[in-house]
Amino acid sequence: MIAQFYQAHSDILLFAGAAAVKVLVLLNVIMGFTALLTLAERKVSALMQDRIGPNRASVFGFAFDGLFHPVADGIKMLVKEDFVPAKAEKLLFTLAPFFALVPVLALFAFIPFGDYVMVFGYQLDLQIAQMPLSLFFVLAFSGLAIYGVFLGGWASKNNFALLGAMRGVAQMVSYEVVLGLTLVGLMMIFGTAGLQDMVRAQGRLLFGFLPGWGVFYQPVAFVLFLTAAIAENKRTPFDLVEGESEIIGYFMEYSSMRFGAFMFAEFIEIILVSMLATTLFFGGWQVPWLYDTGFIFPWGSTLPLNHYLVAALQTGAFAAKTVFFSWFLLVVRWTLPRFRFDQLMALCWKVLLPLALLNILVTGAVLTALK
Amino acid sequence: MISVKKVDNKPLGPLERIYLLEVARGLAVTMRHFFANFFNRKGMPTIQFPEQPSPLPGNANLRTRHRLKIRADGSPKCVACFMCQTACPAYCIHIEAAEYPENPAEKYPAVFDIDLSRCVVCGMCVEACPEDAIAMDTRELPGGVEARSELLLVKSALLRNLPGEPSLKGAANRLANEYLKAGGEK
Amino acid sequence: MPKITIDGKTAEVAKGTTVLEAAQQLGVYVPRYCYHPKLPISGNCRMCLVEVEKSPKLLTACSTEAADGMVVRTDTDKVKTARRDVLEYLLINHPLDCPICDQAGECGLQDYYMEYSRAKSRFPNEDKVRRQKRRALGPHLVLDNERCILCTRCVRFCSEVTKTSELEVMGRGDRSYIDLKEGKALDNGYTLNLADICPVGAWTSRDFRFKQRVWFLKKTPTVCLGCATGCLVEAHHNKNTIYRLSPRPNAETNTWLCDRGRMTYKSVSAGDRLVKGIVKNGLIELEPALREAAARLDEARDAAAVLGSPWLSVEDNSALALLARALKTENYSFDFSAEQGIKDGILINKDPAPNTAGARQVKAAAGGLSFSDFAKRAASGRIKLIVAEARAAAALKDELKAGGAALVVFAVNRGEVPEGAQTTLPYASYFETQGTFVNYQGFSRRTRPSVEPPEGVRPLWAMLTSLASYSGLSLGLNSGDDAIRGIKK
Repeated sequence: MIAQFYQAHSDILLFAGAAAVKVLVLLNVIMGFTALLTLAERKVSALMQDRIGPNRASVFGFAFDGLFHPVADGIKMLVKEDFVPAKAEKLLFTLAPFFALVPVLALFAFIPFGDYVMVFGYQLDLQIAQMPLSLFFVLAFSGLAIYGVFLGGWASKNNFALLGAMRGVAQMVSYEVVLGLTLVGLMMIFGTAGLQDMVRAQGRLLFGFLPGWGVFYQPVAFVLFLTAAIAENKRTPFDLVEGESEIIGYFMEYSSMRFGAFMFAEFIEIILVSMLATTLFFGGWQVPWLYDTGFIFPWGSTLPLNHYLVAALQTGAFAAKTVFFSWFLLVVRWTLPRFRFDQLMALCWKVLLPLALLNILVTGAVLTALK
Repeated sequence: MISVKKVDNKPLGPLERIYLLEVARGLAVTMRHFFANFFNRKGMPTIQFPEQPSPLPGNANLRTRHRLKIRADGSPKCVACFMCQTACPAYCIHIEAAEYPENPAEKYPAVFDIDLSRCVVCGMCVEACPEDAIAMDTRELPGGVEARSELLLVKSALLRNLPGEPSLKGAANRLANEYLKAGGEK
Repeated sequence: MPKITIDGKTAEVAKGTTVLEAAQQLGVYVPRYCYHPKLPISGNCRMCLVEVEKSPKLLTACSTEAADGMVVRTDTDKVKTARRDVLEYLLINHPLDCPICDQAGECGLQDYYMEYSRAKSRFPNEDKVRRQKRRALGPHLVLDNERCILCTRCVRFCSEVTKTSELEVMGRGDRSYIDLKEGKALDNGYTLNLADICPVGAWTSRDFRFKQRVWFLKKTPTVCLGCATGCLVEAHHNKNTIYRLSPRPNAETNTWLCDRGRMTYKSVSAGDRLVKGIVKNGLIELEPALREAAARLDEARDAAAVLGSPWLSVEDNSALALLARALKTENYSFDFSAEQGIKDGILINKDPAPNTAGARQVKAAAGGLSFSDFAKRAASGRIKLIVAEARAAAALKDELKAGGAALVVFAVNRGEVPEGAQTTLPYASYFETQGTFVNYQGFSRRTRPSVEPPEGVRPLWAMLTSLASYSGLSLGLNSGDDAIRGIKK
């Protein structure tokens, strides 16, 4: 019976099993990395400000320069009082953190973190959901995160939380537009809206030696994308949604792990933005001059490599690029002062949007001219 | 007279208006610090406070942890007059008075608590004390503890004299000292 | 009717009025130590010196009778100098031990020094005359002769008010001191008034000694419930604890306060204070105790009885009357009588209960049995259950034994509870809630809450409301005043 069933549906079962493994591995890696990122944020900011940063949480007297702080934070979040305001919409108040967290986690399904690996003769794609239009899914799902913000603020039944939520929604909706438009140029150049296909397309060389990364085709789009992505991520200099110290944000009534979920979502989004920037503009898992069989340098020499080594190098390159962008986003967050809300909106609608449209126009013109 | 200083706010130049260059300059500054500190962590000015004692500057008017002065027989000079508790703007002093059966100073603090977690180190208690019994000259900086309870100073933790300190000021102390002297002659 | 001018203000005063009293009427304050409105004039402290026109010397305002056409000045340099000098003189031998003195904060020397002198002492510490310090006298007082300024208010109080004359000024000159006369003890029952009238810290209360500094105390005007005299008093309290009672002098009832009355505040935080219910000698939580009492009430129903109390306020007696009305029982009584009148010629009343007259007011509005009828019914066994206040129920001891009725009592302290009480419920004392009391003169006086009742304990009318609701009755009370209004309907 079972054997028969397996025979009949082997490909689907195999696909499902592989997907489940990939999801588990990727989720765990992401979660671990997020925890470290919370520590990194504090450490990086400390180093930028000539401080040492957290280094006190210890286990049996061993502090490892603050390595246990994410654990301590997690325990603190879990054991703090889970407060629900008396007049809050209980259901939505409880759901809002999930609305913030789930779409962000779902987005990782579309990110290609490597090319493929051959496992027992089975070609394992290093991407969870291989879709021809995954870029659109990315935009669609990141749009869903807005619900977390707005439901959180509204269900708290607190005027300040509601104001914070409305600011947040206005900001996210606005920058969503720019975010989408900056990517149009890339789609025109690479002729595809699938993320894996885009990364593969970036494996070509430009002028024979330059890696064909999106940033070299679309430098303006990259700057616009990064700006819009930080704004979408609600981090300084665009953190008016929270405005921790002075204007208060949508999650002011949240405490304990519910608040933790919002905060976690924010850090996961940092990773996501880093991965997207890597994938779209910095060649994803591509290592310059590394092909399926090994390195082929522009000056003619070659270095043949084993298939697994190549796959490891590529995934490693993807991770390294992601870490770099995560760090860069932290540095940006601790360098720039916050915008005023009118400045924020003016920047979006009067600067970024026209520039994004212009970028599409120029890209189209150049592509047409080259044809 | 209000003095008015005119600040000449220059309008932004064309390069500054693009922001990006300025953003890059800002990032350069912060990254310079980041890398300098990343590769030379010993060079940072931060010290680990409770473990590494920080040297206190000179003999400046420095208010540090409180102490209660004691008489020759080891009893507190404090007579529980509640002046410090009355003067304390942070409500951090709690006193309960009790009576000596013999000593003509009559009154002493059975309980004398200072909650350093509430104390604002203003020194009003020292100013208010009519018996010169409380001082803030231990040159110990409170803080850097792991539990709030450690910041509650009880009477026994407060009682201490500095070396070679006479204790004469105050009316009740005059009486107590006379009593002590008389006891010594007997 | 002599016409007198003080500091430019002119008034006609009654014949025999002193200059100091005239000044008081005109709103001019003259400092004084030995003068007390209810004590004979002594004129020894010299603090009230004023300048009178055509008089070569300054005169003491307290002992100079106002004469027609007299022109008095209290604000001239001469008067000011005199005051400063008198204060310096009084302070020569004062030990200045304010830090250990309970009077500090309400001390005449401190107040006047700050207002009229502010001079530095020219007298070295070592040359001060030393007298006996700290000496327990009588059951309530401590005497410190070194602080005494010999105003003799205490001597005059003992000879003129209590007429017991225990105290006398002994010795001569600057060696004089206050002492007990031989063979006397300071236990006349009004001794704590000495601590009140003493302008300095010579007489202090042993009960209050070192408990609180006076400037921390908040003052709530209320009524003494020690007897039917109903003296007006002030409760001095801080951080939810009462520390002492002092009289609120008034023309109708009292200037002083007896020692027993001053100690009545102790029941509030006494060791046997009830904060839970008692069922047959066992302490249980309030809710189950109320349910137990309600169950007893349900069993008895029209065989239940309600007894008012001369120890309860008019409000709480009214609430009891409303309970009787809700139970539809005929067995209730608010008929109390006791011989009333001042027993000792000063304050203490023949009637030890504070509200006999108030209970009769409730009787007038709500009716009910006479007390003897009630007692007869209780003795005959027609009554199965009595709801009452502890001290009023104690009067029915024998009848209860004979009739076998169960007893549900309300009490503040466990010591009040009569033997054999089935259920005992606590209620908020009148230091913790409002209550109207009618004294022997017929004056209605209200206590005011100065501290919070212990957790869960509520005023008697509120406890009754809960009790009634547990047995399915509604008294419709939201305040004590509702009860008074309720019985008039």
